[in-house]
Amino acid sequence: MAEMLHLSVTSGSDSSALSDQSASSRVGNRSLRVAEKERRKNEAEDPFVAALKYFSDVEAGTPVVGNDDFENNLVLVEKVAYSRGLHPEAISIMLEFAMSLRMGTTPCVRILKCLIPASVVPQEAVVRAWVWLTVGKIPTSTQILFIKWVLTVFDMIDGKDHLRAVYGFIFSFVTDENLSPFICHVLYLLTRKESVRVFRVRKLLELQLKLGRQPYLLHLLSLYKVFCPELVTLSIPSRLRSGFKNHNNPWKSALSAVQKRNGCQVPSSTSLLFTNKDKTASRKRKHRHLELPALRSVTIQMDQTASSSISSNSRMVVPLVQVHSFAELLENIHRIELPAQMGSLLGSSLALQYLDCVQDESALLRLNFWLGFALHEEFLFCGDGASQTSEEALLFLNKLLSTQHFLQEGFFSSEAFLYKFLNFWDGSLFRPQILDLLSNIPVVPSTKIGQLLFEPLMQLFFTSSLFFKCGLMECLNSMLLKWLTWHSVYALEDDLDISLNSHTSINMTLSGFKDSVMKLIHFVGRLASVGLQLEGCHSVLLSFILDFYETVCDTFLKYGLPLVVVPPPGVFYPALMATDPVSVDRLAYIMHRYKVNLMSAKTQEKVTEAFYISRQTIREFNHYMVVMVNCLWNSKMFHPGMGVQLGEELLLRSNVAQHWRSFDLIHHPAFLSYAVDFHQRCWPARRDMDLNSIKLAKPWSWYLEYLYSQGYDGLKQIVPAH
Amino acid sequence: MLNMEQHRGSAVRTPINGVPVQKRSKSYRLSYGSCLGAASRFGFTPTLTARRFSTTRRVSKLHNVKEKINADQLALLVKMEWKLSYVTPLYQFRHTKLKSYSRQLSVFITAEKQQGLAVDVDRVQNSYRVSFSLVHGMAGTDDAETVLIQVHSKHMFAKKDEPQKLIWSGWLTCMNGNSDYLGSLPKDFICLPLFGSSGPEDLTSLVQSWFKQNFDCCIGPLEISHTSLQWLAALWTNCHNEDNIQHLKLIWSLPVAPPLQITYTVDPQDAWDLWGSVRKGSGAEKVREEEEPGKIIDIDEVMSFMQGLNSHFYKHFRLDLSSGSLKEVATSLGSAKYNGKIKISNSKYMITTLTLLTEGALLKMPI
Repeated sequence: MAEMLHLSVTSGSDSSALSDQSASSRVGNRSLRVAEKERRKNEAEDPFVAALKYFSDVEAGTPVVGNDDFENNLVLVEKVAYSRGLHPEAISIMLEFAMSLRMGTTPCVRILKCLIPASVVPQEAVVRAWVWLTVGKIPTSTQILFIKWVLTVFDMIDGKDHLRAVYGFIFSFVTDENLSPFICHVLYLLTRKESVRVFRVRKLLELQLKLGRQPYLLHLLSLYKVFCPELVTLSIPSRLRSGFKNHNNPWKSALSAVQKRNGCQVPSSTSLLFTNKDKTASRKRKHRHLELPALRSVTIQMDQTASSSISSNSRMVVPLVQVHSFAELLENIHRIELPAQMGSLLGSSLALQYLDCVQDESALLRLNFWLGFALHEEFLFCGDGASQTSEEALLFLNKLLSTQHFLQEGFFSSEAFLYKFLNFWDGSLFRPQILDLLSNIPVVPSTKIGQLLFEPLMQLFFTSSLFFKCGLMECLNSMLLKWLTWHSVYALEDDLDISLNSHTSINMTLSGFKDSVMKLIHFVGRLASVGLQLEGCHSVLLSFILDFYETVCDTFLKYGLPLVVVPPPGVFYPALMATDPVSVDRLAYIMHRYKVNLMSAKTQEKVTEAFYISRQTIREFNHYMVVMVNCLWNSKMFHPGMGVQLGEELLLRSNVAQHWRSFDLIHHPAFLSYAVDFHQRCWPARRDMDLNSIKLAKPWSWYLEYLYSQGYDGLKQIVPAH
Repeated sequence: MLNMEQHRGSAVRTPINGVPVQKRSKSYRLSYGSCLGAASRFGFTPTLTARRFSTTRRVSKLHNVKEKINADQLALLVKMEWKLSYVTPLYQFRHTKLKSYSRQLSVFITAEKQQGLAVDVDRVQNSYRVSFSLVHGMAGTDDAETVLIQVHSKHMFAKKDEPQKLIWSGWLTCMNGNSDYLGSLPKDFICLPLFGSSGPEDLTSLVQSWFKQNFDCCIGPLEISHTSLQWLAALWTNCHNEDNIQHLKLIWSLPVAPPLQITYTVDPQDAWDLWGSVRKGSGAEKVREEEEPGKIIDIDEVMSFMQGLNSHFYKHFRLDLSSGSLKEVATSLGSAKYNGKIKISNSKYMITTLTLLTEGALLKMPI
């Protein structure tokens, strides 16, 4: 009531202000008005300006019927409105004229229909119009038309604070049965947490008793529930999710035409939808663990601060449900209230932004309990295999993965789940997703890694297809990359305790970390050696394996981890003897990187004693290097001291002439075609091909140049051409 | 479906000597706590191996359970058959706020029952009255107190003065939960992992979803596993001396086509004798351990007990029950089914049974 009184005063005298703030804005308006006057002087002859002047000055009680002045002026305004839209001042004048009923109710509808804003709608005009709603005797249909107009232009109103200030006033219309559907919509758009009060909830509940279950009441109540769940208990039927109807019919086409012409597109607010979760798959599922809970604010905790003291403390927090943009999130980041069910965070990208900076152990634990539960129930406890191939499961896993990628971190509940699941997995169910999840697990302590990871993975690897083997190699490579990245981010020079997982704060010493990484590399080495044998050195598998060693060879320089592990012979020789030049070249590149890493480590060793490289490692590396250069460049394949040794008799029996040459860069199966090609280019006239002639000093260096120019940079780095 | 019944007093008596003499392995006093301890560097990532069923079980005969627990509550607990679920730890659950929970849940149920009609919280004319109450005396040292929930309602066409009837009841409990697990949870979590309910299913799911929404927990079905059922069979048989178990009924299902279900009923005295024979020889060892003899039961004893029963059955029917799985165990002290339904008819053995079930519930925890 107080608000009403206050307002009627405002409407009476233009000078009294609603608040200080509005006074200042009025000053702004005034200066605008002065400018406007200037402009008006210049355009004194503009008939539109004259028309507006007519409507602002016309005396109350002037008859409409037979009034040509009125008719002409109105037609003029309509013409402008439908073509260019009305500027704010014009809107104010026309709205004021219509709602004040200065010339009766007849022109009201016609004017309301032509109130097409060109840019914005002044807030003051709307507030005044609301007040006129109670003062004059406006017919109900016109009242509704006005409210519909407000709803249509709602987003174009230049400010909402004064409208919110008269929330109670607008609320008072809700008891009017005819208006209440539209009033509820306006209120829905205006409601803030502070406008939700017990007496308003009561009023709506009373209305509900009187009118039965009306969707508009439900929508408003459900918004109230979002703000103050302790005040409203309500369950929303699933069919009622669509939100309010659009009421923009009379203005829609004209408005969009004007907006198109003015080149601005103000989004219409009337399509405002429920923030409630969108409808999930129509098919009913027997088990519903994969359904994300709805984002809901906490009910019970509010309850302890009795209704009287809901005030300061709880009003300061902003439930995550109400944050709609990143800007709002930033603004309120210090007082965000977590939702009632943490699982709901997974469904909203905005919430994930917040989750990323939450360091609340309980909150993460809640999320993990939910996630772990869903994974366990769906993939481990669920007896019937039918549900396991469902689309929901796929969507769920993908959502989980994108979340983990976003956070650049795995959840420990999915990790715990994986350790169990690997023992039951057939290697094909959701393979890409499971492997991707697996690559996200944090560093496993070396004492546990064998039992948790290696045993189940080994079984899967040796019993699965080539395709799975490649997938697993890729997964382990990506796992190693993530571990190394964690290390390079968290490891501090002096403080070797690295928090590998900031949320569980597992402390691991550098040596512990190194042990785990080493075990992983050795494990992959074993898998790779046997895998290559099983698959006949398949070049695709080899390629994935070389990917892995490309990561391994650079652990020291790229990730600052003082660890160098060379590949086992089971990987080195198949790569060296590979039939495709790319693999041989990649091996050369990898060996080159090993060399660079080892040399750099050696120089560091002298300075800081950062770490000690075992002689064994260096010996192995040197050996590989010698083998590689001797084999490819020096044509000394089966010489004593080389890695591959065959008995002399056996070699003789093979009838291969100059067998020591058979794996040099000319005769190597991977490069033979290049040698032939080179030979033809070099000696186009020659009829008999003698590849050995390439080996002569000059052609040899040309040949190397030629090979390097084909993109074999790895080879080039090992033995640069002179 | 073939139903083979072996009634008591049938021609065949359960042989005492039919049990292969088992070399008794040492009774490891290893609680699964130590396994978890080994994995404690994981923080909250206990491994598959971290939590396991206890291999030994103390037969705690809390005869004073009758004195400690309110008689009405006890009567209710003993009267019903309960459908079990497991519950992940409850966030911000307060035993001091049960009154407010009662109100909230009743409003919630009302609102859900009349979809799309808001409920006035303060002036609610509830057709559902919910009461939360503490069950004093039903908790181990580290456990949170047991909570009993009852839903009363009036029939739709009931007379005004007709009293509301109990239509649904349920409880949340933790009986001797693994103290390492409980201790690892932050303060604002309350662990009441075992949830029993009795009443219409729609109310069960409403109560569960209220819990999920308000305490951010997850609730899933809890089966009573093959091993748990074997344990129960042994534990109940172990009580025969004090309380006649009347019969030991085991229902097995065998994986053949068509599925074969076998009901195997054993004479209580025979079962007791068999049980005594597998426990023979353990006495000396136990005494040396300075434990009261007969108070500790080892998993090996349970296994040889079951093996004895099975080999007897095999002798007569040439059917090896161990290839199937145990689906149900029943004695006069109670009955337990694989699908998670349990009835504890005698309050004396309630604690032991609930301890076993709590263990099962904790095993299902995702982390």
